[in-house]
Amino acid sequence: MFHSFRQVLALLGCWAVLCAMIGQANHHLSALAITISAPGLIVAFAALRLPLGAGLAAVFTAGLWLDAAAPVAFGRHAALLGLAFCIVHRLRGRLPRNETVVGVVAALFVNLGLFVALAFMDLGELPDPAAAGTRLLADLGVSQLFTALAGPWFLALQHATLRLIGVAPVQVTSRFA
Amino acid sequence: MPNRRFDQARPFLMLGVVFLAWLFLPTAFKRFARISFYEFQAPADVAASYVRDLQDFWSLRTRSNAELVAAARDLQRVNASYELRLQEDARLRAEIRRLEALLRLPSFAEFRSEPARVVRRDFGVWWQRLVVRKGSNHGVRVGSPVIYVGGLVGRVSEVRGNTSVVELIGSPGVRLAAAFEGDDRPVSFQGGINPPMRPAEAAIEFVPLDVFATPAAPRRLVTSGIGGAYPPGLAVGEVVQLEPSTDGLFKSGRARLDPRLGRLTEVTILVPLDPDFPSLEAVQP
Repeated sequence: MFHSFRQVLALLGCWAVLCAMIGQANHHLSALAITISAPGLIVAFAALRLPLGAGLAAVFTAGLWLDAAAPVAFGRHAALLGLAFCIVHRLRGRLPRNETVVGVVAALFVNLGLFVALAFMDLGELPDPAAAGTRLLADLGVSQLFTALAGPWFLALQHATLRLIGVAPVQVTSRFA
Repeated sequence: MPNRRFDQARPFLMLGVVFLAWLFLPTAFKRFARISFYEFQAPADVAASYVRDLQDFWSLRTRSNAELVAAARDLQRVNASYELRLQEDARLRAEIRRLEALLRLPSFAEFRSEPARVVRRDFGVWWQRLVVRKGSNHGVRVGSPVIYVGGLVGRVSEVRGNTSVVELIGSPGVRLAAAFEGDDRPVSFQGGINPPMRPAEAAIEFVPLDVFATPAAPRRLVTSGIGGAYPPGLAVGEVVQLEPSTDGLFKSGRARLDPRLGRLTEVTILVPLDPDFPSLEAVQP
C-alpha cells in the first residue's frame, strides 16, 4: 500500500514538472495562437509499467490536476485519462511495454484519441465550428511533435524518479524480450 | 475462461467504480479539491513570472547609458502629454457631474484601477484565458472588467487568493454588447476562433443594414456600456467583413482583434466600487 502511494506521489511530481513546462511553452506560443497539450505522456508510463491500482489512482489524480486549471467540469479530464489508461493497460500484455519506442507511440495514440474526443465534445460550442479545423490541426501537429521529442526524456525521467525513491516497477520479461 | 475474461475487464470495472464514487462525492468536497489543486499549481506559475521579470531587469541592465537617456527623454514627452490629458479629464469629469446633478441622471458605475502582471497566457481553441498576479487579497472581484493600452481585454472569471483568471473577449464563450465608433446602435459581439499565426477573430451579429465594413476600410468597434458590465467606449476590435444575414433584417460578419492581446504582459483590472455591480453574479466558474 505504502509502496503504491510513493509511486503515485513520485509520478505526480514528474507530471507537475511537465504541466509547468507545457504551461510556460503555451505562454510563449500564445502570440502564434498555437497550444501544446500532451496528456498521452501522463498516461503512457503509468499504463504500460505500473500496477492497475497505483496507475489508475495516479492518472485520475493527474486528470483532476488538469481540470482544476481549465474551465471545464471538474472530473472530465480525469474520466477521459482514466479511460485511456484502461485501454492501454488492457493492451499492454501484447506489447513489448518496457521499450521506450512503445511508450512514445502509446503516448502519441492517446494524444490523438483524447484530442478527437475533446473536439467531438466541444466543437458545438464554437460560433463557427467549420473554421476551427486549421487551428485544431495546427495544435494537434505541434502537440504530437512535442510528444515525440519529449517522450523518451519524460519516460526516462519517470523511471529514474521511481528508481531514485526505491519504488521502480518490476521489469517484466515478456515473449518480446 | 471466465476468470480470464474478468481479468481483462478489471481495469474498466475499476474505472467504473472510481467514476461512480466520484459522482456521489459531495459538491463541497469537489469544490474544495478543485481550489486545492489550483492553489498547488499557482506558485509554480507565479514563480515563473517573477523569473521572467528578473530576466527582463537584467537584460535592461545591459543597455548603454545613451539608450537609457533617450528612453528617459521619450518618457518625459509622453508624461507631458499625459499631464495635459489629465487636466482635460478633470475638467470633463466636473462637467459630467454638473450635468448629472442638473438633469438628475444616474451616475455611471465607478471603478478603481488595479494594475496586474500577467502570470500565464492560455489561448487554446476552446478558451482564451490569462492568469494575473492579483486576487481577492487585492480586492479583485468576479466580473470586474480588465483593460490594457489597446482597449478591452475581458473580465475576471475566477478569483483566488493572490491570482485571478481573466476570460478574454476572444474566447468563444464570451458575448457582449458593442457599438461602432460614432454610432450608438448596439450590435452583438461573440468571441470566436483564434486561427494559428493570425490575430484572433470574433463574430458580429445584429448589425444595421446601413453599416458597411471591408478589410480595406474596417470599422472600429467599442463597448456600448449596455448592461453595465463594461464601461462604454473601450476598443474591442475592428470589423473587417459584413454580409446580410439570412433573415435579411440585419448584417453579420467578423471582427479582427488586436494582435497585442496575444502578447499581454500587464493589464489593469477595473474593480467596481459599487457593491451591487450588475454583472458580478453573471460570471461564475
